[in-house]
Formats: sequence, structure tokens, C-alpha cells
Amino acid sequence: MTTKSLRMPQLFPRPKSSTGIWSWIGTVDHKRIGTLYGITSFIWFIVGGLEALMIRGQLASAENDLIGPETYNQLFTMHGTTMVFLVIMPLSAAFFNWLIPLQIGARDVAFPRLNALSFWVFLFGSLLINFSWITGNAPNGGWFGYAPLSGATFNPGLGMTYWVVGLNVLGLASIAAGLNFIVTILNMRAPGMSMFKIPIFTWMTLITSVLIVLAMPVLAVAGIQLMTDRVYGTHFFNSLGGGDPVMWQHIFWLFGHPEVYILILPAMGIVSEVLPTFARKPLFGYPFVVFAGAAIAFMGWFVWSHHMFTVGLGPAANTAFSISTMLIAVPTGVKIFNWLGTLWGGNIRLNTPMLFSISFIAMFTIGGLSGVIHASPPTDAQQQDTYFVVAHFHYVLVGGALLGIFSGIYYWWPKFTGYFLNEKLGIANWALMMIGFNLQFAPMHWLGMDGMPRRIYTYGENMGWETSNMAASIGGAILGLGILVFIINVFYSKMNKVMAGNDPWDGRTLEWSTSSPPPVHDFDEIPQVKYRDDFWFQKYPETIAEYHHDEHDQAVPSGAQLDEVEEALPVVSGGSYGHGDGHSAIHLPDMSYYPFILALGIAGLGAGFLSNNVVIAVGAVILVWGLIGWAMEPVNDPK
Amino acid sequence: MHRVLKLSFPLRPALLLLVPLAIALLAACTPDNNQSTFGTAGPIAEDQADLFKFIFWIAAVVFVLVEGAIIYIAIRYRRRSNDDKLPHQTHGNTRLEIAWTILPVLILVVIAVPTLTDIWAQQNTVPQDLGEVLNVEAIGHQWWFEFRYPDQEVVTSNELHIPVNRPVAFKLESQDVIHSFWVPKIAGKVDMVPLNDNFIWMIGDEVGEYYGQCAEFCGIAHAHMRFRVIVHEEADFQAWLKGMHTAADTPVAGSTEASGKNLFAANCSSCHTNDSTTPGSYAREISSQQARWNGWISDIKTSGIVSAPNLTHFGTRNTIGGGLKDLTRGSLENWITDPSSIKIGTRMQKHAAVYDTADGKAKLTPAEVSDIATYLLSLKPGTAPAGAVIETDGADGANIFATNCTSCHSTGDNKVVGPGLAGIGDRAGSQVAGMSADDYIEQSIREPAAFLVDGYPAVMPEWSQLGDDSIDALVDYLKTLN
Amino acid sequence: MTQAAATEHHEPVENTSTGLNSRKLMMWAFLASDVMFFGVFIATYLVYRGKSLVGPYPSEILDIPITSVSTFVLLMSSLAMVLGLHYVKAGEKNKATLWILVVVVLGAIFMGFQFYEFRTFAHEGLTPRTNIFGTTFFILTGIHGAHVTIGVIWMAFMAYSSHFGQLRQDNALDLEIAGLYWHFVDIVWIVIFTVIYLISASDGPPLGVGPTIIHG
Repeated sequence: MTTKSLRMPQLFPRPKSSTGIWSWIGTVDHKRIGTLYGITSFIWFIVGGLEALMIRGQLASAENDLIGPETYNQLFTMHGTTMVFLVIMPLSAAFFNWLIPLQIGARDVAFPRLNALSFWVFLFGSLLINFSWITGNAPNGGWFGYAPLSGATFNPGLGMTYWVVGLNVLGLASIAAGLNFIVTILNMRAPGMSMFKIPIFTWMTLITSVLIVLAMPVLAVAGIQLMTDRVYGTHFFNSLGGGDPVMWQHIFWLFGHPEVYILILPAMGIVSEVLPTFARKPLFGYPFVVFAGAAIAFMGWFVWSHHMFTVGLGPAANTAFSISTMLIAVPTGVKIFNWLGTLWGGNIRLNTPMLFSISFIAMFTIGGLSGVIHASPPTDAQQQDTYFVVAHFHYVLVGGALLGIFSGIYYWWPKFTGYFLNEKLGIANWALMMIGFNLQFAPMHWLGMDGMPRRIYTYGENMGWETSNMAASIGGAILGLGILVFIINVFYSKMNKVMAGNDPWDGRTLEWSTSSPPPVHDFDEIPQVKYRDDFWFQKYPETIAEYHHDEHDQAVPSGAQLDEVEEALPVVSGGSYGHGDGHSAIHLPDMSYYPFILALGIAGLGAGFLSNNVVIAVGAVILVWGLIGWAMEPVNDPK
Repeated sequence: MHRVLKLSFPLRPALLLLVPLAIALLAACTPDNNQSTFGTAGPIAEDQADLFKFIFWIAAVVFVLVEGAIIYIAIRYRRRSNDDKLPHQTHGNTRLEIAWTILPVLILVVIAVPTLTDIWAQQNTVPQDLGEVLNVEAIGHQWWFEFRYPDQEVVTSNELHIPVNRPVAFKLESQDVIHSFWVPKIAGKVDMVPLNDNFIWMIGDEVGEYYGQCAEFCGIAHAHMRFRVIVHEEADFQAWLKGMHTAADTPVAGSTEASGKNLFAANCSSCHTNDSTTPGSYAREISSQQARWNGWISDIKTSGIVSAPNLTHFGTRNTIGGGLKDLTRGSLENWITDPSSIKIGTRMQKHAAVYDTADGKAKLTPAEVSDIATYLLSLKPGTAPAGAVIETDGADGANIFATNCTSCHSTGDNKVVGPGLAGIGDRAGSQVAGMSADDYIEQSIREPAAFLVDGYPAVMPEWSQLGDDSIDALVDYLKTLN
Repeated sequence: MTQAAATEHHEPVENTSTGLNSRKLMMWAFLASDVMFFGVFIATYLVYRGKSLVGPYPSEILDIPITSVSTFVLLMSSLAMVLGLHYVKAGEKNKATLWILVVVVLGAIFMGFQFYEFRTFAHEGLTPRTNIFGTTFFILTGIHGAHVTIGVIWMAFMAYSSHFGQLRQDNALDLEIAGLYWHFVDIVWIVIFTVIYLISASDGPPLGVGPTIIHG
């Protein structure tokens, strides 16, 4: 690797301390960044959950006037925006950060400072978008911001400008993280770990990252166009000036549908790790699960107009998108069947992570089936923009993504912290969530079929929607209670530690081979990989033949072949800055303040579009300072 | 050596999880509900419900199989006591993989066939053999629906009248934001998108009154953007059409209705037309509605005019506020006094001068409100012989002005949308050299764009359709204003 | 695995699983991302072709000869880029610095043309607020201009490094990565030039459009 020789005088000394707030601000450690992602997005999860509870409170009875329409519109807009961009995506990013280097036997991600930058930009972007609550101008145009209602003519004020600027800042964070994980997974695998030996969660992370890198720029374009419309009076989506509102929908959903898979694929990855571990047998049909994930990601680009079946694109377009949408159910089904195949014949331990994962399959199946129902445009004509759709995507995103993430939290908590989350509280957490979730969202199917449109803040007494709405609101409260039990569990388990050891679940992947929590450098020795689920086969060498004997498409690597592989792939240490040395002299990147400073500059620039050119200038100056400082700062100071 | 946690999962309490499912099922399937998509009253909604049920039952079978398999496997293969025996370490089975890839494809083909048939049956043109097609233009406004019958030259709002068992073809439009046109019991929805006129057709096959609602989030009063569809026997529909061409009786001088009429003209008629029964009034209402839109869009904050429902024969309606409340004297008086008590966010209160008060309530005494209500409730097809529509001889300029012009012009000095017209007769003669006052005013009525007054938007429609005699009478009347 | 391929290339074998340098790999991934970014802007331009409600229309305002010159200038900068990289790899410091400086200058000239074009259009009454052509034209070319600006600054930084001997054979990769970016921006301009200046140059007012009130 090259070393930059240019030096810039540093305004303040490089952070060295490993404790205290500055150690967090200057950190480039993927585990610490993962923790920061986790904590931040969990706080937003609570905020988004409270928004949901207020929505449910307002809808609990007919003609309710608890919350007026202005606030209600802000609540559902921010609930959707928060849960998608500030909760599910960054919670997944927390897992990427924590796990990817551990799963592929690396010491960090490929670009540790870029990784820190991603987090800080995400943090400032999320603060920016939520700052709108304080100014009383929270966005109110719905989370997909349909023009022209999101334009300045029909939505004056700063609300939707906050939304669009905030999303652009967040998009930047996502793209940076996506690039980082693509390179990390492709380039930093432990010696011997070919692509078809990487853990399935790593595969799903790679596929998700590719989707992020390709889909977020599409949102960025939509965001820039809407922002110039709002701030500078251009006509992209302004129907009075010749702009076409349908164009916004096309661009937004061209991003929006891959985004759905960005949200769900990481959870599928988590579940694909948890099921084999607790069934004590390997993932059934690993290559098929991988290909199904890739197929979903690819086909996800050709289904966007199924969000627009009632927009009037005509029967030909509706036919095409109906067929492509139905087809995407096939790889999804393949995944579900393979998970069942994994469980079949296993020795299933029903611990909390497993309960969440099995529930994931059960609930995600419901969401998938209701998805097939409104893949048919004639039935969708009745369901589009009703509570049926609300029920559908909550079964996918809560019953799917969120349950998967909770499964992952319970599963890897011992690895992250060294101690278990309490099992009894965990089961209570799970049971309350499942009861509350189903009570909240199952009745919404009926509400939708009974003609209740979404996004209405009130409804008449004569519509017959009260019982189901009341049930849904009670379910929401129970779901909230479940989350509360989880928070209690976190503190209870911290105070009454039950130490877990390195490998509490009898795991299969490399992260379980290192200590809990892992050392700063992750692995004392970089592992040498021979097999998929290498750690498992180290523990149970007697099962190697059993696993491989019927695998006709993949020969068992002989000793000779393996040596060759090892020769071909020099040992890699913690990054592209490393020196190919797994045994001695572990080099970790030095800490840096510049990601934080650069992120501050980016956020300042964004805030400028909301205020004035002075703020833009200040943001730009900070940004340039961060950039130059970053470029001039060597990854490692000379020792 | 590999320690495994000993907690295992209590099975019986897990059955409690079925409770919410049971509750959900209990609350299910209520075809009698006003907007239920099951209790259909038209073939399109029926086909859509049938297709839903078809896919639903297939999905239900898959659901039972998958969920059943999950529960079966979780019980059958759960770890018992401390049995840590390793199961067989299978890696997969290619034949199975192929099977469960092909099986869903086959199921989806079964779903796709009726889906595609229905798409082309419902979203293409109206089939020819279903009878005479009634054309309707439905326009979504923030936050009410306008219905125009171009072939019959009838315009109404919020309550759509259609004949039973006859196909109705809709042209769906919007000028402001996206709305969605939806009558769950008769047909699924299609959006109303600015710049993108849409098409939908439907048939109501049962006489009755049906609920409709905007389904696309359209702003603050989205929840209150509703309408009704009234399906008539053919004869009743023709009678309704005839009624829409029959003027209401003129109130007797000095009556409550007459007082209400004057108050309406003074306070409400800028935005609400209430007599579109005469020939030519259909075209006028279309241009007036355009003028109101142009007025509002050119000055969103302080415009004194805004798109508003046509109130022709309001007294025959069943509801107010677009299906929000039954039409009664009480609900109507509440609405006139304080519209937002019924429909939060309505533009009426923000733009009409009569609501320019501290609390937003109308600057009217209860008696005045009552008079207006009485007048509106009296708006029904009159008993006077139909046909004598435009008075050609001795046209009453003041009356023509009150009906057609007060939307935008006051007879004083104050600006409404257009300039106040006091003293127009004196000014007009000196505007253009060589042009008399009469010619100038007439030209301004026929071609408003010719002499646009500085500072006013070019929104006034051309009024030649009034006819020569009426314009002459109007010019004479205008010259008397001081 | 990839080792054989890597040795044939006479490039230093990277210490990574794929044998590709991580930063270079990331630049490729970033460019894929940027393709989507420009792709959607270009698609927007194409969808909105001929939809302007008022003039000036492309046929009235685009100056194709002048933009052809600036396009040629940008193309030549890519050639200079190739030569610069060649001389860095060959260890000929002065020639390398010179050619990198040529890239900077040509890039700056292109920006000058764009600035001139924007100013002229504004004088002739076309701004992003005028009509849908102005909106799509200015934002698309403006976003590209921003990319060129970043590239010029980056290249200036490279020229500076080269001049002071800090860009050498062993870290020629730094310039190669910057070059990937520069060539990409150049290629994107060829697409934009084709779409705006060649395909839609004769676009006039759409049929049947009357004057409508426009706000902004």
C-alpha cells in the first residue's frame, strides 16, 4: 500500500484515548461504530414507536379529536420516514458493522474512517430531519412525498424541505456504508474463504449493499429535484409549469422497491444464521438461498410500478408489472422453503433468538401472501391506499424485518457484550410482541377490505370500522409493552450478568471463535478457512464427511487443493493498509476526528438549504476542512 | 463441552397466541358495511371481489400448509430434555429445490390468468354491448368532487347520480393535487392526477345510495373528502336530469327565501354557483370554475375566491360537506356558521370575506344564517314552466349581474377577484381613444383579455355566450353603478 | 483464483481476496452508483423533452458549435490524463506534472465554457425557473459541472503532488483512481451532449400548448 507523504499541520492532536467521549467521536473501530449505530437507531425506534402509538390513539374510536389533522399528517409522515430510514436501515447497518469483519475473519472494514463518516452523517441527518419537530414544521406529505402535494405550491413552509434535505443527507451515509461493505466483503475475506464459503448473513449484506449503492442515488435524484422545486422554483414535479407528478412516483418507486429489499434482506440473513445454529444443522440449500437473495435483488428493479396500479398507466403496463411482481414471489418462496428444510429433522432449541426467527418465517409468509393478492391489479384496485396495504407492509417490515432484527439482537448480544440477555424476559418480550403485533395488524386486513383508506385521521361512526380499530390500538399498546420489556431486559441483564463465554449457542461461523466481546483487533490470529461453516467443522470434524458426501456439485477440497488456496491468498490483516501479517504486529487504523468534522460539514450544508447562504458557506468551509484534513492525514501515524 | 442453554419454550401458553387471530376473525367479513368491498352493487366490484376470493383461498391453503409445517416442525423436532445429539448434517437437496421453485410458478400462473383477463376487461374501453354509455367528467378538488355530464350539460358536486345497469364512463381529472376516485361497492379506485386525465368505467346494478371516498392522501381534509353515488332507475335518472334543467322558483319578494337569496348573493356567490339550470349555464360554470382556480392559484394566501362546489338544487341533496353529514337545517346552519366544525381545513373559511373574523365564524346573525339555510333548502326544480330560460326581451341587467358577475366583481370600489365596478360608466369612455363607454364595456365582457387592468390576473372568461340582448342589458346596468 | 490473472498484468499483486486494490474497487463501485445518479437525471430530461409550456425552446437557444468545442476540450483532457498516468508510471516526473496540469487547464476551460453558456442563456431569458427545458437542462448540466469541478480540484492536487515528488511510480495508483473518475465524468458528458445537443437540438414548442400561468 501507498503512504501519503503530504502532511498538514494538525489543529489539534490526533485522538488516542480509548475511553471517554472523545474516544467515541474519534473511533474508527467497526465494533464501536456498530454500537453507535445500534444505540442511535434504537432511540429513533422508540421515537417512531411513540409516533405510531399516537396514531393508534387517534384512530382508536370514530370521530376522535385527540389529535388534529395537521399533527396527524406529520405523525404518519415521520413515523414512516423514521422507521424506514432511521430504524430498520441503520439497525441493519449496526449488524453489518459488528458482524461482517468478524464473520469473514478480518480486523476491520476496508475503510474504517469512511465507516465512521457514514455513522456521523447518518446521525446528523437524522437529527436534521427530526429537528423539524422542534421548529413545529415537521414534514406532512407522507413518507413517499407524492408531488404535487409535496411541492411548495400545495405544501408551503419548511416541512417537506426538512424531509427532502434530511433524506439526501441520510442517502449519502447509506451509499458510503454500502461501498465500504461491498469492498470489505469482496476483498477482506480470510484466506481460503471463497465467495461460496462466506456466511449467509455476509452474502445478504453484500447483496443489500449493492442495492443500496444502486438505489440510493435514485432517491438522491428525486430528492435533489424536489428540493430545487421547493427552494429554487424549478418545475420537475410542478404540474403548473409542465412537470409531471407521475414522474415523481416513477423515480421514487424505482428507488422505493429495491429499498423494500434493502430493509428485508439483512433480516433474512440474520434468520438464515439463527435457524441452523438452533436446529444444529447447516442451512438447507445454501447456494439456493444465496441465488434466491440475488434474484430478489435483481427482480426488485422491475416491479416498481406495482405501487402505481391505480395511477392510470394503462392495462399493458399493469399487466407487465403484475407478472414481474408475481414472479418475485418465487425466490421469496424458495427462501421460506429452505428455512423449513433447515428446521426439518433438526434438534431444535427454542431459545429467544429461535422464537423470533421462527416467528419471522410465520409472519413474513403472511406478508408475502397478502403481497401476492395485491400483485393482481384488479384486486389491488380495491386495496391500494387502504389499510389492507398498511397491514401488508407491516407484516413484511415488522413481522419480517423487525422480528429478524430482534432475533439477531438476542442471538449476538452475548458476542457483543459477553453476557446473555435474560431468557425469561426475552420470552415475555417475544410473546408480547407477537400478540400485540398480530392484534394490531391482522384486523387491518379487514379494515382495508371494508374500505378504510389509509392516512385518514378520522372516520365516521357509521362505517363499521370501530371494533377493528380498537383492537388494532390495543394491539399497538401491547406491542409497545413488548418493546418496554426488551428495554427492561437490557438493563436487567446488564445488572445481573450471566456470562456467556465465546460460543454460547454452539455457533457455526467465525465470530464465535473469538472472545466475547471480541478484542479490538477481533482475532489474535487470522483464521484459515477450509469449509463453509468452518468453525463448526473445527468443533465437529466428524460431521465433515456427512455434510459433504452427497454434495455432488461441490467436491471436498483435498489437502493439496487447500494448500494451493492458501498460497494464492496471502494472509490479510485488518485492512488494505495492513501488511499481510496474521501472527505478529497487529496494525489497526489510528483514530481520527475528520469523519466527524466532515459529517458536520455535510449536515451544515444541508441545513443551509433550510436557512440561508451563510449556513451553506459555514457548512462548506467545515466540509473542505474535513476533506483536506482527511486527505492529508495518514491512516497510521508513523510509529 | 459446548454449553447449551437449558431453557426451553413452554408450548401450552404459546397457544395463547391464537387469541388475537380469533379476535381478528370475529371482527371480519362485514359485507353490509358502507364501504365494504364484499357487499358489491356492480359487476366490476363483484369481479374484483371474486378475484380477491379466488387468490385469497389459494393463499389460505399455502398459509395453512406453511404455518402448519412451522408448528409441526417446531414441535416434532424440538429438543427434548438434554438430548444434545447432532442431527444429520444435510446440505440440501437439488430435486427439492427445483420442485419448490416450479410449484409456486404453477400456482402463480393459475392466479395470473384471471388477473390478466380482468385487467383487460376492466381497464380498457367500455365493452360495446352493455348499453348506451353515460359520460361523466369527475374532477377532484381539494377537498370535494365535481361531476360534469358533458352530453347533458349538467354539473353538480359531491353527489353523483347514475342510472342503474348502464355503463358510466368517467374522465377523471384534477387541477391541484392527486386524488383517487373510489366507490368500493361499485368499482375499485383510479387516481385523479393533474395533467394526466384518467379513465374508469363502472356499472351500478342495484338502485341505492353508495359511499365513495378519496383514497389518495391529498392534504389536511383528506379524511373528509367523501362523496355519494346515487343509482337510480332509468326513469328516475331522466327525471333528475330534467330537474337539473329546471330553474328553481324565484322567491316571493319579502320572504325569508328572498332575504336568504340576497345574503347568498352578497356573501357566497363569489365561489358557489347555485343556478346552472339554464342553457349556457353549463359552459359558464366551467369557465367560472376555471376562473376561481386561476384566481386562487395566482394568490394562494389572500385570494378572495376559491374552487367551490356548484350548489344547483342543493335542496334535493341528502348530505352536506361531501357526504359528511345528513342534510338537515341544523347541520346546514352549523356549516354556514363555522364550516371547520364539520370539515377541518376547508378552504371556504380561509378565503371567503364573510369568515374574516377573529374566531373564523361567519359575520352573520343567527337569523341571517337561518335565512340562507332556508333559501338553500328551497333550491329545487321549480314549478314554473321550463323553457323560458334566457329572457331575450327586457333582460334585467341587475339580475344578470347578480347571477353571473358577483362571483368576482363588487358593485362598490372593493376588489374581489376583479376590480370593483362603481363608476365604471364614467371611466369607460376615457379608457381607449375613440371608443365609447358602451363599446368599451361590451368589449370587456366579450373579450376580457383585450383591456386587462393592471394588477389583475387574466382569469375572466369570455361572456359572449350571454347573448346580445343580455349583454346590452348588462352594459346599461353597469353604467348606472356609482 | 485471480492470482494468474494478476501476474499476467504485471501489476503488483494486492494483498486482498480478489487481488484488486480496495480503493480501486471502491471507485468502480462508486462509479456504478454514479451511473444510476446520472441515468435518472438523463431519463428525466428525456421524459420531459418537448414538454415546455413556454419558450425559449432548445431550437431557439442551444449553440451547438460552441458546445462542440467545449466537448472536444473535455475529450482531449482524457487523452492528457492517459499520458499523465503513463509518465507517472514511467517515473518521468516533469512530463507527468505537465500532462496532469494540461488536464487541469482543459477541465477549467470546459468549466469556463459552461459558465459562459449559463450566463448567455440567462441573458436570453432561460433560467431553471423559466420552463421545464430550463429546469432539466440546468440541473443536469449543473450536476455534471459540479462533478467536473471536483475533478479539477482533485487533479490540481495531483499535479501539486507530482511536482513536489510525492506522486511516484509506487503510488501511481492514486492517479489511476482519480483518472477513473475523470474518464467517467468525460464519458457521461458525451452522453449528455448527445442527448441534449444532438437529439433534442431542434425541439421547438410542443403542439397544442397555449399560454398558461407559471409561478416561480
